[in-house]
Amino acid sequence: MQQSSSGSIPLRQFGRHPVKISALGLGGHHLGDAADEKAAIQIVQEAVDGGITFFDNCWEYRRGKTELWMGAGLKGRRDKVFLMTKTCPHGRDASLALQMLEESLHRLQTDHLDLWQVHGMAFDNDPELFIRPNGAAEALTKAKKDGKVRFVGFTGHQNFKVHLAMLNTGFPFDSAQMPLNVFDSNFRSFEQQVLPELNKRGIAALGMKPFSGHGDAIGAGVLTAQESLRYAMSLPVSTTITGIDSLEILHQNLRIAQNFTPMQAVEMTALRDRCKASAADGRYELYKLSLKFDNPESRIAHGFPLDTQQSEVRDMLGAEQNTGHPFPEKHF
Amino acid sequence: MGSAHDPNRRNFLKHAAILGAAPFFPEGHMPKQQPQAEQVPSGVVPKKQLGHTGVQVSALGLGGYHLGSVGTDRAALEIVAKALDHGINFFDSCWEYQDGLSEERLGKALQGKRDRAFLMTKVCSHGRDKSVAMRMLEESLRRLQTDHLDLWQIHEVVYDNDPDLIFAPNGAAEALSAAKQQGKVRFVGFTGHKDPSIHLRMLEHKFPFDTVQMPLNCFDASFRSFETEVLPEVTRRGMAALGMKSLGGSGEMVSHGAITAHEGLRYAMSLPVATTISGIDTMEVLDQNLQVAVNFQPLTAAEMQNLRDRSRYFASDGRFELFKMTTKYDGKVGRQQHHFPTEQELPL
Repeated sequence: MQQSSSGSIPLRQFGRHPVKISALGLGGHHLGDAADEKAAIQIVQEAVDGGITFFDNCWEYRRGKTELWMGAGLKGRRDKVFLMTKTCPHGRDASLALQMLEESLHRLQTDHLDLWQVHGMAFDNDPELFIRPNGAAEALTKAKKDGKVRFVGFTGHQNFKVHLAMLNTGFPFDSAQMPLNVFDSNFRSFEQQVLPELNKRGIAALGMKPFSGHGDAIGAGVLTAQESLRYAMSLPVSTTITGIDSLEILHQNLRIAQNFTPMQAVEMTALRDRCKASAADGRYELYKLSLKFDNPESRIAHGFPLDTQQSEVRDMLGAEQNTGHPFPEKHF
Repeated sequence: MGSAHDPNRRNFLKHAAILGAAPFFPEGHMPKQQPQAEQVPSGVVPKKQLGHTGVQVSALGLGGYHLGSVGTDRAALEIVAKALDHGINFFDSCWEYQDGLSEERLGKALQGKRDRAFLMTKVCSHGRDKSVAMRMLEESLRRLQTDHLDLWQIHEVVYDNDPDLIFAPNGAAEALSAAKQQGKVRFVGFTGHKDPSIHLRMLEHKFPFDTVQMPLNCFDASFRSFETEVLPEVTRRGMAALGMKSLGGSGEMVSHGAITAHEGLRYAMSLPVATTISGIDTMEVLDQNLQVAVNFQPLTAAEMQNLRDRSRYFASDGRFELFKMTTKYDGKVGRQQHHFPTEQELPL
């Protein structure tokens, strides 16, 4: 195994701001799949050493476990990274969002975030609920004013129309996160519909799901992991966030990112054409077509049913600290 | 609608209750109390024109999926007999419902009564060739014990590339034409529950569909709306609109208390459709529907607006129209053909 202990990854500008972040970002959700806390800490530390500065997380991932692990991994390294986490009010009030912020800061062992995003804009009425009086928009503004977060944004993976509606609220976002991969380019496309808008407005575009979720297309032999990640990183984005749950995956992605040269336009077109037929019904982008990737917290807040077979739902239902409410407890 | 009777449903509801997710009702959103069990009035379900075909069908149609999920053959046959007695002549089924059980039951129930029924079933080639569709037609005719269908529709046009596959050379559209020409079916159409844009792309092909089936209910009016986007197009082209999912497919709208069953059905039947196909799996549900449909009086425009306004609070994220939002109602055969995970692997 090639070691990537002191590499460097290209840095890119964070939207309209004179701040640089690494072109590859470490996704927080998969960190929860690491063998244990020690393994997760090692992933985080080696990622920093390998040149990754962008760290992603979320209040609701694994009921807080991934924030705790990332906080432990970044101890003593906080000033080397651009730290992002997300808040999960899912349509509920600003006060709830701010309560989640305090909990995230506590778990991440820091007094401020570089970026705080509203998580999982999925449902058609989410933009309306976000911008309403006393909605999450007010929390973003307050947190920024209080100096607890430097920048603010939103994320979502279901429907590009919801992203466009978020932009049309007129709120001054610094970033927006979305799935960007070669399958997306051919199916209900964020790349076609949202990315140009962000570039035009100077909002930092953060790509995710470069392997279209769980990498099923790579398993089926449609394309390679390297092609997938290179395609996503070649788009006009500030960073591409990728899930890393082992040192092996970290080293694989670091190698691609450290030696990164963008694909030529003609290569990108050829890859889009190759994937077109299997992209057309969305089979490799189930996150756009089902509730598969939507967090149970969000489903509950919106009155959607739960899939009790899903591991996250089982975790939630079985959690010792489950009080019967999807709200954080004031235990810190 | 593979999982309209999902055995997990009760679990969902139970957990939702544990988690305190039962919907709360803001001021003015509470539905009126359902009146206590009424008798079915004497009279019949009125007939309506089926588009430009010159044929009339009953304003309420009997849905085939639920017929296939009735506990016993005998109970299913009794439902069909009573429906016929009250003037229902539109009968829906589908090649893939319960692996043929729905069609077989309908065939038995209509023995000796075939000429009293307007019989529809659907073909499930899901992107495959004309020959597959024609083979399914023969199988449907055999199960239904008849030599012709009144209406044959392409089932479950719900995947984004379905229109391309259906109109590809040697695709299902050619099967519809051939079957009509051979006199095996009188009329043809298509159906789907997912997205108005997919229906509109089907219509762009200028194929002479006689019917178009779609979900129509008071929630649809505020969310990815077939009523707003597709129904006027279908009507303008002289095709017959067939409504379904008047209560959202599994009645979540009613069980969560957002509307009453009578309100939901009355709204759907008041739209400019030829018929509203309703899933009926017990005599109680049949009676409940007949209370609305016998001597049917449409809602006024103001009453319809009132119901839309009241529903909007619940409708705007799609929570009661999961068939548009998730794969929950997408059937087994279509998933296989499109390389999607099974219902067990991807229930929502």
